[in-house]
Amino acid sequence: MLTELGSAMVRHARADGVMLVWRAQVRSVRRVLVREGRPEDTSFSSSSGHGIQIFTSEGRTALASRDDFEPEPALALLRRVTATAKGPNSLGLRSAHVPELTPQVARAVPESVAAFENIDLAEVAQRLVELEQEIVRQVPGVNLRIAFQADLDAWRIFRSDGTDVLFAMPRCSLRLGATSRGASTPHTVRAAVPGPDPGLPWDDGKVNRFLCRGLRAARLARDLVAAPPHPAGSFPLVIDYALAKGLAHEAFGHASETDQYRSSVLARNGKFRKGDLVGAPHASIVDEAVTGDHAWQPFSSNGVRRERTMIVDHGRLVNGLSDPWSAGPGGVALSGAARAESFKNAPLPRMSNIRIEVDDPLAAPGQFEEYGPEEVRDLLTSAGVLKRHREVVFLSGYSGGQVNTARGDFVFHCKAIYRLSSDGIHLHKPAIFSGSMFGALGAIREAFGPLLLDALGTCGKWGQSVPSSGGSHFFLVLEPDPTVRLGGA
Amino acid sequence: MRIDPLLKVLRSAEPGGAGIRAWSVYVTQGRRLSLGTKDCETGSAHTPLTFSESLDASYLLVWKDGRISRGLLEKRQIVRDAEEALALARTSAYDDPDAAQVRGPARFPEIALLDASVTTTIDGDIGPVERRLEAIRERLLDNGFRIWSGSFSFNDAQARLVTSRGLDAEGVGSTAGWYVSFEGEFGDGFRARAPDSYREFEERLDRLAETVRLLKKDVPPLPGGVCPVILHPHVVEDFVMGTILHNLDGASVAHGEGFFKKEQFASQHQALREDLTLRLDPLQPLKSGSYRFTTEGVPATPCTYIHRGRLVSPILDLKYAKRLGLEPSSVPYSMDTLELEASGTLSSEEAYEIASGGALVLSVLGVHTQDPSSGDFSLAAPQTLKLGPAGPEGRIKTTISGNLFEVLRSDALRLVRFEGEHTPALLFPCRLDPS
Repeated sequence: MLTELGSAMVRHARADGVMLVWRAQVRSVRRVLVREGRPEDTSFSSSSGHGIQIFTSEGRTALASRDDFEPEPALALLRRVTATAKGPNSLGLRSAHVPELTPQVARAVPESVAAFENIDLAEVAQRLVELEQEIVRQVPGVNLRIAFQADLDAWRIFRSDGTDVLFAMPRCSLRLGATSRGASTPHTVRAAVPGPDPGLPWDDGKVNRFLCRGLRAARLARDLVAAPPHPAGSFPLVIDYALAKGLAHEAFGHASETDQYRSSVLARNGKFRKGDLVGAPHASIVDEAVTGDHAWQPFSSNGVRRERTMIVDHGRLVNGLSDPWSAGPGGVALSGAARAESFKNAPLPRMSNIRIEVDDPLAAPGQFEEYGPEEVRDLLTSAGVLKRHREVVFLSGYSGGQVNTARGDFVFHCKAIYRLSSDGIHLHKPAIFSGSMFGALGAIREAFGPLLLDALGTCGKWGQSVPSSGGSHFFLVLEPDPTVRLGGA
Repeated sequence: MRIDPLLKVLRSAEPGGAGIRAWSVYVTQGRRLSLGTKDCETGSAHTPLTFSESLDASYLLVWKDGRISRGLLEKRQIVRDAEEALALARTSAYDDPDAAQVRGPARFPEIALLDASVTTTIDGDIGPVERRLEAIRERLLDNGFRIWSGSFSFNDAQARLVTSRGLDAEGVGSTAGWYVSFEGEFGDGFRARAPDSYREFEERLDRLAETVRLLKKDVPPLPGGVCPVILHPHVVEDFVMGTILHNLDGASVAHGEGFFKKEQFASQHQALREDLTLRLDPLQPLKSGSYRFTTEGVPATPCTYIHRGRLVSPILDLKYAKRLGLEPSSVPYSMDTLELEASGTLSSEEAYEIASGGALVLSVLGVHTQDPSSGDFSLAAPQTLKLGPAGPEGRIKTTISGNLFEVLRSDALRLVRFEGEHTPALLFPCRLDPS
């Protein structure tokens, strides 16, 4: 059905002398939420439809969409959107260069897609109840909400240049929220584990990881009730891989997206500041679609293959995240980074899996989940960091962030703060971590452990929510920098 | 709306051999026209003139075995594949007795929710947008600004709620909204069921330009410490109201996940200062948050969540109303129908005088990273204006921190009215640190 409709749309667009990007999407989302030993919500929802984006030879564009695949209304909509794009420009609309693209015919459909048909939500609910009981048994006194989501997001992109790309993105996750109970001031701490296969709740390795993270979150929610606030200021810091993902995503990732180069701090006069020194010479930032990852997207929503992008290479800006319409004007290579939440939306250059890599990381044996504040302090002691600084502040867990790309100001929030010294370990309430992106990347000194890239997020740029992910080495040490501060209280 | 195929199947279906005891569907058919501008480029590949139309439905099915199914139906399932959709819904059925409620006929209030000019714009008359774009571009030049970004959007929709107990209600509505930011720094906008007047639009734009001019002037920072801080109405809506509403949510209350506990509603616990009231009036014509009935068929009525500091009612849908043994409440869909009230409200000029030596926080980064259940906050506020004897002086970058519920119990808290804003600003002593 889609082949016929897509081909017909292409024929009509060619006849009208316009460039067409036609995006068909079919998406299904299954959710189960368990609270207090029973399912509180179980739902199955699906959506499908297509978006028609037209580019005239003068570079004008318009987008229209319908939530069905009926041929006649689709062709009528194509005629309407073409007429609109070709019509008088009383709104002062932007005319852009229409780039020459290489036609692409490709498929990328992971094996796990087939299993989505056989998800038994009642069985999932039962399994979540078992996981909840396991955590409550070990950490009584907290309220838990445990959720499973299986999201299958399939796209087919036709372009009038002959491109026909089909890809499906399977995304599953186990998530937990733990709230301290009975306290005058409750605290909530969250944890998650992603995976592409809907068998995630029965995958022993993933479930063990989820239980480790869930238990730690539950204990932290309980312990935070009595924790004091931490004073504001600049400190020597240790951040974990999830916070490092936040730093890469909020600070550098967004500012490197080519649709905002007229205002981004990483651009000058609309061009990417390629070659400028923006961080420590042993630190790099890379974005790429990682197979099996929560934010994996092998092709852009314009049908361009997504390329691995080195944004910062050993402290220097190298490349941005781009799409066909902004790569050339921004002075960067085409990276196929455009993503859209829905067929209704215009795609924007976005991150996929973004990470900070540091040269010569120090060893951190075992799994990340084996590292509590004591073990992190041991790492710092063995590396001499606690000789250099009497006290180091450990920010643990990522709770989201935000950036002002015009100024390079970023903020993100952690789940807990630990003050580490040879005299002891003290837990504090979480606080905002904010500052200059350049100061933060320049402050990175040591890294511990291998890369871990499964820190989950949802990016809400320009009102469109798409999955994001990333990470870094288990832990990064940041020297104190006056432009990077812990917020206080 | 073409929903007869769905209704026919609902009335006769036995999917998987399991009959349906009761059902409810809320169907929406809508159109949307939008246009964006990013860094002065209007209607670019990233912000094109966009038109969309959609038909979807939320449903609740109560099966004869007492289990329920809930979810969303897409257009294909409504107009053609309803039987298959219900069979699929049966596979996700689960036990949730509190949610197994289907409403019968009720009297719904008549309120103006549709503005004809919005429909005209979606049909293709984009003259009003042309004039406003021109006004924005003029402000850009007049103020020496380099860039602006923003958007215009127009929606119209019909909704129909049908249940197996004989409820069959229809409604129409529209929304029109715009948002503009200058210099990638600070923005403002408006959203309601009808566009604001051109005069109101220009006045808001001029206030925005004046604020951005002040933000472009850096002044020496304040020392860290406690000082008078005014949270701008935008911050109050985004952070303060967002936190209060999260904790009033029926699910949070019922599961003990919020700051307010269920027994505190029964005892009308004094949770906030004794003159603070939070109420909802969803019956005001053409407000963004006005409506006739919820998707479950609960009629819109004015209601009070917090009266003179005492907890009165959580925000309750049918399920959590039953769970908590309370009546379902009206639902706040937008800030323009929520009223936060206290005695002795100040004008912005009066507030500036009191807060001299302190700061006006225009926006905060990271609201979504806060833990709303504790009320603790630690927020970066890079768009803050230092307040001197003559009012706002220029920009400082700060972080603010504290506990929101302590603020809302404090005798020092004052509400402040800002021109053109529905929600009040808050003035209180707050920990502020330079950043």
